[in-house]
Amino acid sequence: MHQHHKEVMKIGKKVVLVGNPNVGKSAIFGLLTGRYVMVSNYPGTTVELMQGYATFDKETLLIDTPGVNSLLPMSEDEKVTRDILLNEEIETVIQVVDAKNLRRGLLITIQLAEMGLPFILNLNMEDEARSRGISIDSKKLSEEFGVDTVATVATQKKGINNLVQKIRDSRASSYRMEYSRDIEEGIKKIEGILPDTNISKRSIALMLIAGDKSLSEWLYKHLSKKDISRIEKIRLDIQRGYDEPLGYIINTQRLECLDGILEKAVTRSETDTFTISEKIGSLSMHPVFGVPILIFVLFLMYKFVGEFGAQTMVDYFEGVIFGEYVNPWSIKVVEALIPVGIIQELLVGQYGIITMALTYALAIILPVLATFFIAFGILEDSGYLPRLAIMVNRAFNVIGLNGKAVLPMVLGLGCDTMATMTTRILETRKERIIVTLLLALAVPCSAQLGVILGMLSGVSLKAGIIWAGVMIMVLLVIGYLASLIVPGKGSDFILELPPIRMPHLENIVVKTLARIEWYLKEAVPLFILGTLILFTFDKIGLLSVIEEAASPVVVGFLGLPREATAAFLIGFLRRDYGAAGLFALQMDGMLDPIQILVSLVTMTLFVPCIANFFMIIKERGVKIAILMVSFIFPFAFIIGGILNFLLRYFEVVL
Amino acid sequence: MGSIEEQRIDELLELIWTMEEEGNRVMEDIVDRSDDDMARSVLEKMENDTIYIAGEEVKFTKKGKKIAESIIRRHRLAERLLSEVFELESKNVHQEACKFEHILSPEVTDSVCTFLGHPPVCPHGKPIPRGVCCTRFKKEVKPLVVSIKDLEPGDEGRIVFITPKEHARLDRLGSLGIIPGSTIRLHQKSPTYVIKIGETDLALDREIAKEIYVKKIGG
Ligand SMILES: Nc1nc2c(ncn2[C@@H]2O[C@H](COP(=O)(O)OP(=O)(O)OP(=O)(O)O)[C@@H](O)[C@H]2O)c(=O)[nH]1
Ligand SMILES: [Mg+2]
Ligand SMILES: [Zn+2]
Repeated sequence: MHQHHKEVMKIGKKVVLVGNPNVGKSAIFGLLTGRYVMVSNYPGTTVELMQGYATFDKETLLIDTPGVNSLLPMSEDEKVTRDILLNEEIETVIQVVDAKNLRRGLLITIQLAEMGLPFILNLNMEDEARSRGISIDSKKLSEEFGVDTVATVATQKKGINNLVQKIRDSRASSYRMEYSRDIEEGIKKIEGILPDTNISKRSIALMLIAGDKSLSEWLYKHLSKKDISRIEKIRLDIQRGYDEPLGYIINTQRLECLDGILEKAVTRSETDTFTISEKIGSLSMHPVFGVPILIFVLFLMYKFVGEFGAQTMVDYFEGVIFGEYVNPWSIKVVEALIPVGIIQELLVGQYGIITMALTYALAIILPVLATFFIAFGILEDSGYLPRLAIMVNRAFNVIGLNGKAVLPMVLGLGCDTMATMTTRILETRKERIIVTLLLALAVPCSAQLGVILGMLSGVSLKAGIIWAGVMIMVLLVIGYLASLIVPGKGSDFILELPPIRMPHLENIVVKTLARIEWYLKEAVPLFILGTLILFTFDKIGLLSVIEEAASPVVVGFLGLPREATAAFLIGFLRRDYGAAGLFALQMDGMLDPIQILVSLVTMTLFVPCIANFFMIIKERGVKIAILMVSFIFPFAFIIGGILNFLLRYFEVVL
Repeated sequence: MGSIEEQRIDELLELIWTMEEEGNRVMEDIVDRSDDDMARSVLEKMENDTIYIAGEEVKFTKKGKKIAESIIRRHRLAERLLSEVFELESKNVHQEACKFEHILSPEVTDSVCTFLGHPPVCPHGKPIPRGVCCTRFKKEVKPLVVSIKDLEPGDEGRIVFITPKEHARLDRLGSLGIIPGSTIRLHQKSPTYVIKIGETDLALDREIAKEIYVKKIGG
């Protein structure tokens, strides 16, 4: 998971999976390549290209793409998909269609047919279509479009062999749709101006007539300024005949054409009206029942992650496995085998790789992370998250966002770095900047959250509520201010709600393992690096110099013991590691309840971890990344200091 | 029906209104566009009564504006009526509507307006001037075409028109299949609107739901 930075195409015959969001492209990709990519039950799971060689033929490179509703892109992730069709030599396209939503799928089929690319129609989710009484005459469809159709049920691995067979003899569609005369004339004129490319001139002409602004880069690369303005004039001439924008007119004509085909190819029979999953789905977004359901979900999460994971499991791993076995044994072994004092300390000392880095990573954070990922995976696959978006839409309007932003925000609880990339599903730059900032500032990732829950549960519920209250306040106030400062506007709230589905155990397990693997690969090396830095600073006496220098802030302003400085220092690498440092201080009885709360609030707001910082640079640019961090760093201390002052001034008992 | 003379004036007022919407008030262009060979002399007769001429441009007087507004209103409501109720194609609607606009009395016009749900635009997407009925909201006649925001959860409707506001919004709705002719079902209205189109459930802001007008099916 986490293969961003890899935009270069590997070599091989390229077979691209394209389709509407949440139709099972990634599930099919997994079955064809044996490589797991995230599969979740909400639109916008995949936001970048994923590649892998087919299991049936090592020369064939499969490419999974972000879901699109039209090949006229409206957000960054949709543009990724259109661009690969536009710019790459493609052997075959597999269009994955949700069989129960054929109309929306075929809207893309028409566009693929226009591009002249060889493709096959993969009618996935055949099971759901059938249970809703929808049956599709795939022979009719094949005839209409002149391409093969294959029915599959990806979750049951049905029809995959068939799909593999058909990939070989895919062909360009013979289907040709006639638009109204003025548009057809415009197409002809523009075709005369366009250069040859991978896809048909007709399809590019249509994109241009539809007013696709995302094509301008391509245009400037391939055409002269004069030709570009000629095209724009042709477009404007056609537009003059309509009151609605041409993109919409073209779309309408396509759908009208489709309705004729659908009438011939689809039959519906009435089925029993309400299924249980539909019932749950509508209750979870009910204006009244939705709230208790949300609270219930949070409560279950807390029980499982906050109590079982962060307390029971951590106590066991920290206290028993590491405390009684791993660490004492390692100390014995190291002391017996390596007589050099400094190396002994490096491995098993106060800032030792085993006693600190691995203990934090594996005993404190991993159990929490594993339980969180399991719970989160179940939430993702059930289809609850988009319904959550409905419940919070109003509140999000206050901070210049809409409910759609709940997806990246909630994903941030898993990992802020990945969530920052998921901001691509948002439509405007303004929204992307606000969400990126809030993620970096006030959304603790699962690892950190687990440590926080574990620490707070050792204090009191009141402390937990104050901590959560401060975070929500910060989110709202900073979000609100950001929405005033960041130029641009928000976008419409139009969100597709997937059906409520029973999560598959297999997918949850594989997904959790994939996420844990990523954590071990990405976080543990940083933990070791952080420990090495601390160890070195300690040895050369720099640590006490830094502690001395930071003491006015850490001790004076925040009211924490000077040893907490080390935790903040490693917090620069990863906030969860910093939090684990605080956890260790608490274990050693060095923090009183107010100090625990203040240090946790400060650490939660503290600078984004290194990986996230690089992701912000990649997605938002260096300037914005630096601006954000130079705001967040002092802000975290200021809020911590104010909280410390208030708690002590009012003599709050936690 | 008024005299031939009055009819010619009405036609010209209508033309001036339409061209003004397009941002063109130039007298010469109006004369060019008119079907009336005598347009120039009729315009001259109208001067200082319903219109006045400022330099090259023709502008309405207060009186002229009022008359033109009501003609346009009748014409565009007639177009709506023809396309909604008799399901004529929008190409032919214009011709037929021309006949209607002269027949409709003010009262009939308002009840047609109410019947159609006080539509804000004609089938070609041009604004229909508001009448008293629209502001006063008479509920005696059950409207045929209503905005989604006036549906009750569980209601089904065929989309008749979407008042165009923003291009991006129309494009997005269109790519989800929300266009005139599609059937939707309203699932809930709060905390946000949720509609079902085909087998897709969509959540929408009230702002967007408000702009989608449907003809109720059944019930
Ligand atoms: N019932 C059923 N569910 C399916 C089938 N195929 C996939 N799913 C489920 O549909 C959901 C979406 O699957 P993904 O593979 O993530 O879909 P995607 O097209 O990659 O989605 P995006 O990346 O968001 O565009 C998951 O919950 C899958 O378990 C199928 O054939 N039948
Ligand atoms: Mg996917
Ligand atoms: Zn009215």
